Amino acid sequence: MRRKYHTRKLLVRGIFPGTLTALLLLTLTGCNNNPYPAGETAQSIIYSAISDDPKTLDPSIGYDVASSSIIDNIYPSYMQYNYLKRDPFVVELSLGAEEPKRERVAVTITEDGTTTTTEGERWTFRIKKGLRFQDDPCFPDGKGREILAADFLYTFRRLADPAVPCPIIQYFDDKVLGMAAYRAHNAALLKHQKPSDYTFPIRGLETDPDPYTFHITLSQPYPQLRYLMAMHFTTPLAHEAVERYGKELARHPVGSGAFVLAEYTPKGRIVLVKNPNFRADYYPTEGAPGDREAGLLEAAGQRLPLAEKIQLTIVREGITNWNLFLQGYQDFAGVSQENFQQVMSRAGQLSPEMTQRGLRLHSEVGLDIYYFAFNMDDPTFGGLSEPNRKLRQAISLAIDSQTLIDLLHQGLGQRAESLLPPGLFGYDAHFHNPYRQYDPSLTRAKQLLAEAGYPQGIDPKTGQRLTLFWDNALITPAGRVQIGLIARQIAALGIRLESRAWRYPVFQDRVDTGQFQFMNYGWVADYPDPENFVFLLYGPYKRPAANASNYNNPDYNRLFEQMRAMDDGPERLALIRQMREIAMQDCPWIYINHSESYGLTQPWLKNYKPHPIALDTMKYIGVDGAMRTHLQQKWNQPNYWLLLGIVLLVCLGSLPAVQVVRARHNRHVRRPSAGTV
Amino acid sequence: MTTLFPLLQNVLPLVIVALVVWVVVHARQQPLWAEAYRRLARNPLAMMALGVICLYGLITVLDSLQWRDTTTEEPKTVLDRLFAHVPQERTYSAPLATMTTGEPQLHAVQGWHLLGTDGNGKDVLYQALKGCRTAMIIGGFTSLLVTPLALLFGMSAGYFGRRVDDAVQYTYTVLSSIPDILLLIALLLVFGHGLDKLCYALGITSWVGLCRLVRGETLKHREREYVRAARALGVSPLRILARHILPNLLPLVIISITLGFSGLVLAESILSYLGIGVEAGTGSWGNMIDAARLELAREPVVWWNLAAASTALFLIVLAFNLFGDALRDALDPRLRST
Amino acid sequence: MLRYIIRRLLYALLILVSVSLVTFVLFYASSSPQQVARRNLSAKNPTPQQIEEWIHQHGYDKPRWQQFQEHMSQLFLLRFGKSDANGEDIWERIGSGAPASLLLATIAFFGSLLVTISLALAIASFRGTYIDGWGTFLCVLMMSIVYLVYIIAGQFLLGKLLKIFPLAGYQSGVQAWKFVMLPAVVSIVGGLGATVRLYRTFFLDEINQDYVRTARAKGVSEWAILFRHVLKNAAIPILTTTAAAIPTLFLGSLLGESFFNIPGLGSYLRDAIDSQDFAVVRAMVFLGTITTIIGYLLTDISYTLVDPRVRLE
Repeated sequence: MRRKYHTRKLLVRGIFPGTLTALLLLTLTGCNNNPYPAGETAQSIIYSAISDDPKTLDPSIGYDVASSSIIDNIYPSYMQYNYLKRDPFVVELSLGAEEPKRERVAVTITEDGTTTTTEGERWTFRIKKGLRFQDDPCFPDGKGREILAADFLYTFRRLADPAVPCPIIQYFDDKVLGMAAYRAHNAALLKHQKPSDYTFPIRGLETDPDPYTFHITLSQPYPQLRYLMAMHFTTPLAHEAVERYGKELARHPVGSGAFVLAEYTPKGRIVLVKNPNFRADYYPTEGAPGDREAGLLEAAGQRLPLAEKIQLTIVREGITNWNLFLQGYQDFAGVSQENFQQVMSRAGQLSPEMTQRGLRLHSEVGLDIYYFAFNMDDPTFGGLSEPNRKLRQAISLAIDSQTLIDLLHQGLGQRAESLLPPGLFGYDAHFHNPYRQYDPSLTRAKQLLAEAGYPQGIDPKTGQRLTLFWDNALITPAGRVQIGLIARQIAALGIRLESRAWRYPVFQDRVDTGQFQFMNYGWVADYPDPENFVFLLYGPYKRPAANASNYNNPDYNRLFEQMRAMDDGPERLALIRQMREIAMQDCPWIYINHSESYGLTQPWLKNYKPHPIALDTMKYIGVDGAMRTHLQQKWNQPNYWLLLGIVLLVCLGSLPAVQVVRARHNRHVRRPSAGTV
Repeated sequence: MTTLFPLLQNVLPLVIVALVVWVVVHARQQPLWAEAYRRLARNPLAMMALGVICLYGLITVLDSLQWRDTTTEEPKTVLDRLFAHVPQERTYSAPLATMTTGEPQLHAVQGWHLLGTDGNGKDVLYQALKGCRTAMIIGGFTSLLVTPLALLFGMSAGYFGRRVDDAVQYTYTVLSSIPDILLLIALLLVFGHGLDKLCYALGITSWVGLCRLVRGETLKHREREYVRAARALGVSPLRILARHILPNLLPLVIISITLGFSGLVLAESILSYLGIGVEAGTGSWGNMIDAARLELAREPVVWWNLAAASTALFLIVLAFNLFGDALRDALDPRLRST
Repeated sequence: MLRYIIRRLLYALLILVSVSLVTFVLFYASSSPQQVARRNLSAKNPTPQQIEEWIHQHGYDKPRWQQFQEHMSQLFLLRFGKSDANGEDIWERIGSGAPASLLLATIAFFGSLLVTISLALAIASFRGTYIDGWGTFLCVLMMSIVYLVYIIAGQFLLGKLLKIFPLAGYQSGVQAWKFVMLPAVVSIVGGLGATVRLYRTFFLDEINQDYVRTARAKGVSEWAILFRHVLKNAAIPILTTTAAAIPTLFLGSLLGESFFNIPGLGSYLRDAIDSQDFAVVRAMVFLGTITTIIGYLLTDISYTLVDPRVRLE
């Protein structure tokens, strides 16, 4: 009896807690902060992060950066941007076999009984032979079939299908012959919930006896079509895939690019692997000046893609990504407010701590413009009348772009004096917009304000301060800082700024329906042609199309129509300059900045050069797996001592109390020996 | 009429304070409460907690009295005026620092900031104090909404029994079957932002607990001899409820409110962090924590925003917890937690 | 017993119907379909035509009573339909997110139970000493700290400074426990304060009972009293409080999951709040209600097993 009791006591008192502690120690030694399975990081994998799930992987619909950065690596197009060349950007052949041929033709359009003849354009495209789609169950016996010209035309039909919300359809639907009729036909079918008819003829899309050639006929000259053929919207689509997957194409891409989608875990990760059917594509042999010295031509002539796999993890917070980057578990990181001081010693210079790690800094200049816009239909602030124009100019003089850039973007970015960003034809580095020069005394601004009829910001009719309502989407805490800044600057004029922050979809709704007086927006280029910027102020494109402020100046419109299809040259430059002058005087927009950002890459990542427009650049990047494993181990030694210290402290601290309780137990235990119970 | 409303707005907080003081003084005359006061007075921790609560109350009152300034159009409260001389800087600055932080070129700080400044250069101490009013209103107004509702339903369910009881039990079972946080989210998504809407939503989710308690106590008291006697004598139920049962419920109600206060204030900060709490412009500790979360990741670390908001939150929640415990021990030794 | 269960289930069904009525009234009475459509289309400038199509596709243009009918049938058949935000099947997403949430919640739940009971028992056994006083005070302090601070501090300390656990992320399979440890630890520590204090009360109530005094007089060792008698008898009130934790098993921690990037149900709900995705919130409310009801039912039944004095009518 006693022995059993003793053995049980031994078990409970000794062995049980002993094994528990042993297990705990074992699990701790297995602990490390590596989020990837052991050994994976030595392979040729690129680890990247995106802040949220892509909205869609459907190339006819995806437009935002998160979606496009994946779509572009899966779906190539006729043209692509040269990876290395800048200033100017070069568009080269991708799936195309030769540069598209353009010829002017006469086109007759019959509309409502009237027939007109205009000068249109006929483009001829010829694709390479032997291109294949990726292997997918939608094809017979799962093998990707050869890509033909018909697949390109099929894509255009899909883009024009009203059931597919293509965001850039307005670039073609008024130009490709017969597309409007096709859209109307299918819209009617959609209303009655019938499936779309892809066999309805479109005059402007023609096949050719040669199965690798197709033609597109436009009702007006449109040189920018060449750029559109470099966007993922014009990638060839396999009708087998569209018919089989329908809406599921958004999660199940069937492309022909360097990578294919291997795994998609929503809110988790996306894994792309090398496409065995990818055509023979090679790393460029020449680049921009300075590329050779930077080591960007080491991989010249190598077969693409250089990496085997890309793993995109969804990391919602910037800080988390930055910490993962410092630990070596992410290959890319942005430089932002959170890490600016740690990363940069001076603007443009990497701090010693970062240089020691072997990190590389990349400067990325965006082809974009961020601006404030007035609603030109507003009675108080809009319109082309002289007093209102002066009012807008006064407000423009009160806003200091440089302070905004310093406080919101760590001094990164370039003050915008006009619509066009650096790197684009028509950009003039020496141009000074008189209404965008900030003078802290605001003399000229106050003078203009008085001339506009609001001396010191007071509206004479009401006797109160003039109020400007600013609709924006700055609901985050960082956004609120921005609101505070702008309100302060405008308050210096004497005008009251009322900010109304909305969630982004609500904000967009308000902009598209014109429910705003003043708002701020940004525009990132779709292609590197000045037409893609100046069209934002073209009258006929009023909301809900791109010209959200409804600016309508007949002179501007006329000049636009002249320059839009011109080739770059002195004549085009003159027209652009004139348009710039008009927009500057009318001041419908207050230009703030063109973005500039810095990015960091790990020392084991090779050949990275950020491109402001192209997102299909993953295929050029190489990885040194051995260096990565070595550095990850070096940077992540776990620190158990603090934990052990805490445990020790707790044990020591409770010793006195253990004594007290022991004494209490002994008191209780002693009593039974005094007698029997 | 337009000039009368601001006057009314200023009178309201003073009226509330006067009411509270009157209730506290008047209750002293009751033997139960007098004994409770004596016990509380002997508890130093409880007195400190009460002090903190009164301090926060004072700040709230200071932030509620407002009148128009001649220079600006917006009415400014007493708290605003106290901090009027504190200048607004360009951007962040550390507590008692002389230069700003977080910009490429540092600028000199123009004023004296005990807890530093936030992203817009506004004084952090001022912002933390502004949050007091939001917290106290949420706790106070919600309790004001919850108590009559819970008393009404709880007492009727406990006293009248049968159908009324079934109906009330059904109502609160439906409400309590939906997990609190989900119901709050659903309500706030629909109601939208705003201090008052938050109070309504929090009220809807918190009345069930008190109602259950009240129902249980009413059931217990209903069977007491003196109540039975009153019923036999034909006294109307309303009179019985008001004169006999309600006074016995009061201690429970007050303890429940005090302890619930801290939960409400914490809930507000979490909801504001989730983005469905008070509006962005209102001073609120939840909004400050939301902003501060990203600031912790900066180099150099901007910790003073988070520290100020969490400390302010922590102190009032702790004060209510400690005071509530002490009150419970003082009022009914039977409810004591040893 | 069986009759009791059936009666409770019928009652539960009635409750569910009322809950779905409440959610229907809540959700269909708010933001305009145009705004919902606008947000969910990827285009920079969707045309009114595209908006109308979207509204039609998601059924926001049908008459109210028809919407309610569909709403009820959908919920009760657990056909939650498609998310407003990205059109993916809600039930599928719940299925893929449940394992992660379940893992995190189970580890947190049992870990919390172990830790809080041990701590409460320890404090109760050290009663009257400075450990008891300071321990209780510490509990009140910890109770007063916002959960957000625990998350932020937890990630900073354990992930960044000590480098013991991965900062964030998740991978299903054998690796999953590594990612779930940090949020589980934060969840346990964050919930310590109130629970330890409560359990300490339960334990002390038992320790002051007559039968414990008798056992002590008979010479039973203090440890045996604590583990064999007190713990077992305090299990009943502990059981009641843990029943309230069951809904969290599925819903996950709203804050914790999104902060630590765990793709479970909690972060799914968080995203739905951010994008005002009513279809998802509706589904989660329904699911949460079902789990709560089941939890209470199970608790009541387990009472009969644990306490022979309790009889269900």
